[in-house]
Amino acid sequence: MSEDGISREPMLEVYLFEATQLMEQLEEISIECEKNKKIGTEAINEIFRVMHTIKSSSAMMMFNNITVLAHSLEDLFYFIRENKAVTIDFENLFDLVLSGIDFIKGEVSKIENDGEADGSSETLMLKSSSLLQNMKEANGAVIKNESIQQKEDTQFYISSYENSSKEVKQKYLARIFYEDGCEMENVRAFTVVHNLKDIVSEMYHIPEDIIESNDSVEAIRKNGFLIGFSTSLAKEKVEEELNGIIFLRELELLQVEEYPPEIKALKVKKEIVLEEPTEQEETNKEEVEHITKSGKQQSIISVNISKLDMLLDLVGEIVISEAMVTKNPDLEGLQLDNFNKASRQLRKLTNELQDIVMSIRMVPISMTFHKMNRIVRDMSKKLNKEVELEIIGEETEVDKNIIDHISDPLMHLVRNSLDHGLEEKEERIACGKPEMGKITLEAKNAGSDVFIIVRDDGRGLDRRRIYEKAKLQGLVTKPEEELTDKEIFSYILLPGFSTNESVTEYSGRGVGMDVVKKNIDSIGGTISIESVTGKGSKISIKIPLTLAIIDGLEVAVGISKYTIPITTIRESFKPKENEVIADAEGNEMIMIRGEAYPIYRLHRIFNISTKVTSSNEGIMVMVEDNTKAACLFIDSLIGEQQVVVKALPNYIKKAKGIAGCTILGDGNISLILDVSGILDR
Amino acid sequence: MKRVLITDDAAFMRLSLKTMLERNGFEIVGEAENGAIAIEKYKLLKPDIVTLDITMPVMDGLEALKQIKAFDKSVKVVMISAMGQEKIVRESVISGALGFIIKPFNEETIVKAFNKL
Repeated sequence: MSEDGISREPMLEVYLFEATQLMEQLEEISIECEKNKKIGTEAINEIFRVMHTIKSSSAMMMFNNITVLAHSLEDLFYFIRENKAVTIDFENLFDLVLSGIDFIKGEVSKIENDGEADGSSETLMLKSSSLLQNMKEANGAVIKNESIQQKEDTQFYISSYENSSKEVKQKYLARIFYEDGCEMENVRAFTVVHNLKDIVSEMYHIPEDIIESNDSVEAIRKNGFLIGFSTSLAKEKVEEELNGIIFLRELELLQVEEYPPEIKALKVKKEIVLEEPTEQEETNKEEVEHITKSGKQQSIISVNISKLDMLLDLVGEIVISEAMVTKNPDLEGLQLDNFNKASRQLRKLTNELQDIVMSIRMVPISMTFHKMNRIVRDMSKKLNKEVELEIIGEETEVDKNIIDHISDPLMHLVRNSLDHGLEEKEERIACGKPEMGKITLEAKNAGSDVFIIVRDDGRGLDRRRIYEKAKLQGLVTKPEEELTDKEIFSYILLPGFSTNESVTEYSGRGVGMDVVKKNIDSIGGTISIESVTGKGSKISIKIPLTLAIIDGLEVAVGISKYTIPITTIRESFKPKENEVIADAEGNEMIMIRGEAYPIYRLHRIFNISTKVTSSNEGIMVMVEDNTKAACLFIDSLIGEQQVVVKALPNYIKKAKGIAGCTILGDGNISLILDVSGILDR
Repeated sequence: MKRVLITDDAAFMRLSLKTMLERNGFEIVGEAENGAIAIEKYKLLKPDIVTLDITMPVMDGLEALKQIKAFDKSVKVVMISAMGQEKIVRESVISGALGFIIKPFNEETIVKAFNKL
C-alpha cells in the first residue's frame, strides 16, 4: 500500500502480493535444487506452475517484459518436464532462474513504488532460449512426439449407424466465424465437431486437420470453419445448437441438396473413428500427496498491516479506558460487590483481547531467515568459499514490526561473517577446520525478549586490532587491560569504525555495523558481541517483544508516579538505615545476602522534591537488566498495574532512564522507567 | 442470477475473473485454489457454472472436470487455459467441458463467452 494512505486498485495489490510470494517460493526451490544438483518432478512442476501463473497474471496486467520472460522460462521448464531424461546444466539453469527472479522482483519493486516496470528482460530471454536450444540439441532423439498417437485420429466422422436409421436426413452446410482474439480456433472447431457427432450421420469439414496442426487456426480466421453434415434434426434445432457456440461471431447455415465440390472431395476418403479420450499421464498423482505452500495457505487471509496497527492502538486505549472505569476515583470507598465482580470479568475479557491482537501481529521469523539463503549462495559463489547456513528456531514468532527492522541488519551480519569471519578454504584446512564454513542463525524466546543470534566458525575478532583502531580514532577512555572483551568488541558498533584494510564489494566501508546498531536501537533492542580468536564470532541481538502493553509496578516519588516494568524487578523491601553504606567516592551501596548492590535514588536522579529522603523511610526495589543489578530508592509502592506504553512525545528530547509514559486509571501520568538506562549511569 | 464457482491457484486470476463476472450480472458463490477443493465446493454449493484453470497443484483442471462431471453430468464447466495447452483443452472438451477461454482475457471476452452459458 502506498505510504500516503492512497490505496492501490485491488487487482494491482493482489498482483504485487502474489508475485512477491511466488518469487520467494521460487527462490527457495531454486537454491535447494541447485545445492543438491537434483531437480525432482515435484520441483519441476512447481517451477513450471509459478512461471505459468506469473506469465498469465502479468499478461492480464500488461507488464510485457515480465510476461515474456516468464513465458520463456515456462517453455524451458516445460521442456524439462516433458523430457525427463535430459541432462541439466544446473549451474547455468539456476543462475538464469535466479537472475530472472531478481529481474521480476526489481520490476515489482518499481511498480510498488509507483514507478514504471520499464526494465528489459531481453538479455535473460536470449540466455533462456539458448539454454533451451542447447538442451534440445543434446537431447535430440529423445524428444517425444506426442502427436504420433493422434495420427490415427479422425478427421471426419461417419456414423456407424448410417444405414440403419430410417429417418429422413437433410444435408446442411455451415460456415462458422469466431470472434477476433478468442484464440485456439482449431480447438473450438474441434469442439463443434465433437458436439455435433451425436446428432449427425456424416460430417466433413474444412480445414481438415483441427487436431494436430495449428496452421488451421489461420485458415479458420480467414475463411471460417466449413462443415458439411447430414442430420435428421429439424433446421431450427440445428440452428439453435450452432448458435450456442461460444465466441461465435457469424454463422452461415444452409440446407443443401448436395455438398459443394471441396466437401465432396473429402467424402471420398476413408472413415476413421473419432479418438477416444486418452488416459492422462500420471503426472498429477505425485502431486496429490504434496501440498504446496500455496495449498497450505487456504486457511490464511492477508490483512493490511495498517489495520492491525489501528486494532492494536484501539486495544491499548480500551485497556486504559477499562482502568479508568474500574479504578475511578468516584468509586473510592464504596462497597461494590456486584460491580467488582463485573469489572473483573471485563478485565479478563480485555486481557484475552489484548493477547489475541498481539498474537495476530506475531509472525514466524522463518521467512527472514530463509531470505539469507540467497545471500549465502550468491556470496559463497563469488568469494569461492563453501558455506553452510544453519537455521535454528525459525518457528520463533516476533512482531511484524520487528521483522521489518531486522532483515537488513541480519543481512549485514551474515555478509560480514562470510566476507571477513570465514577464512579461505586453504586457511581453514591449515587450521584443522572443516573446509566448509558454517554460519548459524538462531532465534529463541527468553521471557519477554526474543534473541536473534548470528554465529560463525571463522577466525573471530581481533581484540588488539580493534583496540588499536579505536585508539587511533580517539574512542578509548581506558587502557586495554581494563576493558572486557565485550566492551572492546562493541567498539565496532561505533560510526566510522572499520579495521579492514580493503573495502570489498560487500563490506568494509565502516558504515555497516553502526547502521545495524541504529536499526536494532529503533526496535528497542541491544547487541552484544562475543568472539574467540580462531574459533569464531557470535553476535546476539536481544529484542523486547511488543512493548505496547506491559505489567508494571506503580511507585511514588514525591508527587510523581513512575512505572517499573515487572520483568526487571527482582524484589522490593524496606531497608534499614545501617544497611546502606557508601564508598570513598560517595557512591551508595547496600548489602543483600552477601552481595553489594549500587543504590540509585530516584528523587536525586530525576530531581524531585520529596519528604522521603532517609533510607528507612522509603522502599528499595531491586532491579536488573541483562548485565547488572541495583536497587532503586523510592518513596512508596502503589501497586501492580497493567499499563499501555506510549512513546514520549516528540517535543521531549530522549530522557535517559525513561522508556515512555502512560495514563493511569485515575487520569494521572506515570513515567515508565528504562531500567537499563538508569543502571548505565 | 447465474451462480459461478471460480477455480484457479492464483489469487490474482480468481480476483480478475470474479470482478469481471460480478460486473456483468453473475454471482460468485465460491472460489477454489485447486481441483480437489473445486470438487468439494461444487458438492457444497451446486453452482450453475464452474470455471476451472488447467494448471493447478494437487489436482489439475482436467481431472477435476472429469470428477465433477461424473458427479453431475449437467454441470456447465468452462476451462481457463493458456496458449500451448491445445491437447489438454481438446481432452477437456471430450470430457464434457462446455467451452474454454484463453488467458489473458479481458472483460469483453468474458462477457461474450459467459452470456452464451
